[in-house]
Formats: sequence, structure tokens, C-alpha cells
Amino acid sequence: MAVPVSQAWTVATYVLKQKLMGRKKYPLVLMLEPLFRCNLACAGCGKIQYPAHILKAELSPEECFRAVEECGTPMVAIPGGEPLLHPQMPEIVAGLVARKKYVYMCTNALLLKEKLHLFKPSKYLSFSVHVDGQREHHDFSVCREGGYDIAMEGVRVAVEAGFRVTTNTTLFDGADPNSVRAHFDELMVAGVESMMVSPGYTYDKAPDQKHFLGRARSKKLFRSILSNRKKTWRFNASPIFMEFLMGKKDLTCTPWGMPTFSIFGWQKPCYLLQDGYADSFKELMETVQWSNYGTESGNPQCANCMVHSGYEASGVNYTFSSLKGLLQTAKGIFFSKYEDEGAMKLLNEWKPTSHGPLVQIGSPVAKSATELQEVSGD
Amino acid sequence: MATETQESAKLTQLAHENPDEIEVAAGREREQLEGWIPALATEAEIREALEKAFDYRGDITITKKDGLQVVGYLFDRRRGDSLADSFVRVIPSNEKTRVNIAYSEIAALAFSGRDTAAGKTFEAWVKKYWDKKAAGERNIQIEPEKLD
Repeated sequence: MAVPVSQAWTVATYVLKQKLMGRKKYPLVLMLEPLFRCNLACAGCGKIQYPAHILKAELSPEECFRAVEECGTPMVAIPGGEPLLHPQMPEIVAGLVARKKYVYMCTNALLLKEKLHLFKPSKYLSFSVHVDGQREHHDFSVCREGGYDIAMEGVRVAVEAGFRVTTNTTLFDGADPNSVRAHFDELMVAGVESMMVSPGYTYDKAPDQKHFLGRARSKKLFRSILSNRKKTWRFNASPIFMEFLMGKKDLTCTPWGMPTFSIFGWQKPCYLLQDGYADSFKELMETVQWSNYGTESGNPQCANCMVHSGYEASGVNYTFSSLKGLLQTAKGIFFSKYEDEGAMKLLNEWKPTSHGPLVQIGSPVAKSATELQEVSGD
Repeated sequence: MATETQESAKLTQLAHENPDEIEVAAGREREQLEGWIPALATEAEIREALEKAFDYRGDITITKKDGLQVVGYLFDRRRGDSLADSFVRVIPSNEKTRVNIAYSEIAALAFSGRDTAAGKTFEAWVKKYWDKKAAGERNIQIEPEKLD
């Protein structure tokens, strides 16, 4: 299993309880953004572009706990900004763990080694380290040479200290599927519990507006990456969501599935789009015209979105909506390597495009897929 | 939420292609708003300008009809049927409070703060990277801006 059984059980019982209560719209993961400042300045990130007085602002632990209780989800992701820059982050995490919330603290890991002693290993806490590919791809993506080595050192130290460590990889136009697969091998060898992967998306606030994958290219890319899976790979994602990324499943967006709370309040409507803020979770759920969002709505802002914040909850909902969904999910977890000759051909014939800058740096210098296969025994 | 002008590249693309057939998604057109002082002559201009102010990533300055000025980050707007029941929500740059100002109370608006999103494109990073690489620099990076 890619997540502890206790977590899978907690999520499953939560979802079933919502369904038994007849709730059609319920959140799955709270995206808690306690601050926006960061120690990286990635050219692809729109979360960090605010005036200094906003970047200095942060949520107090009490504000975080209130949001978590209002929302009621079993899982809390803490993106940002960089959460480890928040002076009270250990207190916030400890408070959430005490509330038995499964916490994914999303970090670039630049400070992980230095701050690790402030946290206590727990089945409720996972460091979700953002690594956008092999060394040179990641370094270029985060606009910092050496960023990969520091992040992976953080991963190694945290794994050795007994923490749950997962990873999160965002792919933009120009991503090389062969390199991404080698990247997965590297992460598994490093001992991470499981990996998350998602396409980038043309959200309004992203500084770069030219390197976003359209849906057709996203599906092609993910089909080539996620088909013919190695048995060593473990993913922290709904198998149905991953089938959606591969173009094997149609899902409609669940924009309320991962609500976001920050210093501005509850973000309308979702993690990536900003159409104002509600002062309470109830107000968020009641005032947003949800039918205006999602690719199927025709809203141009949602046109190319296949991001986990909109569709992961859709995958989970599909799983628990029918026996067929449960069986398909079980098959995805336990049996399917997603063997696909066409995808293998795609992979073998993949030519780097000229759209993305990532391929311009040169060949990845990290271990090759073949070398890693030898190490991982796959 | 971007205005239609800002969304025009996406709207044009979607007019010709199905979202599921799009290979590379169009981004949005970024406007140079820093320093702009909109006329606010009509209700439509007021609404459009405040929509752009909501989208703007720098501080703005609002001069109210009573003469008071509010400088800060406009993080939300609530659009009602009239200007009197529409209002913006601002975090002043020198306070930790939130201020609500009705559209009808606004006499003037200026995009006075630096546009924190300006010039931060991948193209700019690629150029900077290669320039520094050519100059023999190592450990090339974009440093986050100093906050003090």
C-alpha cells in the first residue's frame, strides 16, 4: 500500500459517512496555506508574488486549527509558501497530529535537515517534498542550481529519522517522460513512501504563461510515463485519478474537493483559481456557483486543468460511488501494471519539444534508468 | 479572476479547439498596470478598474470621497447590483486589519505599488541562466526578494 492502512481506512470511512449522510459536496483534503513567503523564487510559481507586507503575514496556530475544525477533512496538506519558514510550524503540525489529522507538509526541503529535530515522527505526519524531476530538471524548475541535492539530502535524513516522506512532482510542457520515469526510480531508491505527480496548469497567477500542457499533451505524457509501470513504484494518488491523467478515464472536476484556507480566508473557488474569498467554510460552500468551474463548465480558466486539486477527489468519489468503482480501484492498486504497447512506443519515440526550457540544459546527470533498475532490482 | 481582455488568448484558442484536443494551452495576456490611474468616469469603468485591481499583485492606493487614502493589497471584491452594495476588501500596508470600502465611496484609484508579478517569466529565467552560465558563474539561482 502507498499509504498506511490506518490512513486508507480513515479516508474510506470518512467518505462513506459523507455518502450515508447524503452530502453531495464534501471536501477531502484541506489545503492550509499559513504563509506565502518562500525561500525559492520559482519562475513557475504564482503563490509567492505579493507585496512584502503580505509575504510577511502568517496564520497563527489557532487560526489554522479553527480552519481545520470548520472544514472537517481527515487530511490536511500544508503548502505555501514554504511552511518551514513559519516560526510556529512545529506547533501547528503537532496540533494537527493531536487532532488525528493526516498531515502532508509540502516543502521544498531546503530547510528540512536543519528543522527536522523540531518534529516528531508520526503515522499522521508526512513530509511531502516537492521534487520536479531529475537533478537538472528540478534545479531549473526551482530556478536554483543545487536545489535537487539539498532536497534529496532532506529526503534521506527524514527517511533515516523514521518520518514518512512522500514526494510531489509537477510536470510542465517540455517534460521528458523517460527522465520522469528515471526520476521515479531515484525517488524509490531514496526510500520515499510514495509519489504524487500532476500536470502544471495555466492558472492566472502563474508568472509563466507559455509552458502549460494542454489536455491532449498531458494525456500523452502521462500515458507514456504511467503505463508499463515498474513494480517498485508506489504512488500516493487515487488509481482512478491516475487513469484520468493517462486518458483512460473521464472525470469531471470536484472544485470543492480540496478547499484552500490562507491569510485571506477561504479561497473561491479552488486552490489555483482566485475569484475572491469567503470568511467561513460554510460561506465558501454556499456562495460559490460551483457549476461555473471545471473543464465541462466551458470556463476558459478551467479549460486545460487536470490538476490533482480538482480531480483527485473526483477519483476518490468515483471509487466509492459504485461496486464497479471499488473493483476498478482495487485492480489499479493491486494488479495493474497498465501494460500498453502503444505507450511504450510513445516513450521510445518521444522527442523533446522546443516549448519548454527544461530540455535545453542537457541530459540529466543523475543515474540512468538502467543503473537504477539494477539498484532497485526491477 | 481575469477580465475578458486578459483572457482573450484562451478564449480565442477555445473558440477553435476542444479542450481535450489542445496540445499546448494558451496563457493569459498580462497588462502593464503599474502606475495606472484609471479615469473611473462611468460605472462600467469603475467595475472594470476594480476587477483589474483585484487581479493586480502589487499594492494599490484608494482615495475615498471623504478624502481619506488607503494604501494596501486589494485581496477581494464583492460585486453587488449597485456601486453602493459592491465593495473591495483591502489589507492596508501598515496595519494588520482588513478594510471594506464600497465602490460608491471611491473617488480615485492608483496602481501605486510595484507589480510583483512583472518580468518573472520562464523566458526571463532562461535568459538569466544562460547569461550567467556564459559568464562562468556557478550555483545560479533566483534569490527571493528581501522583505525588509
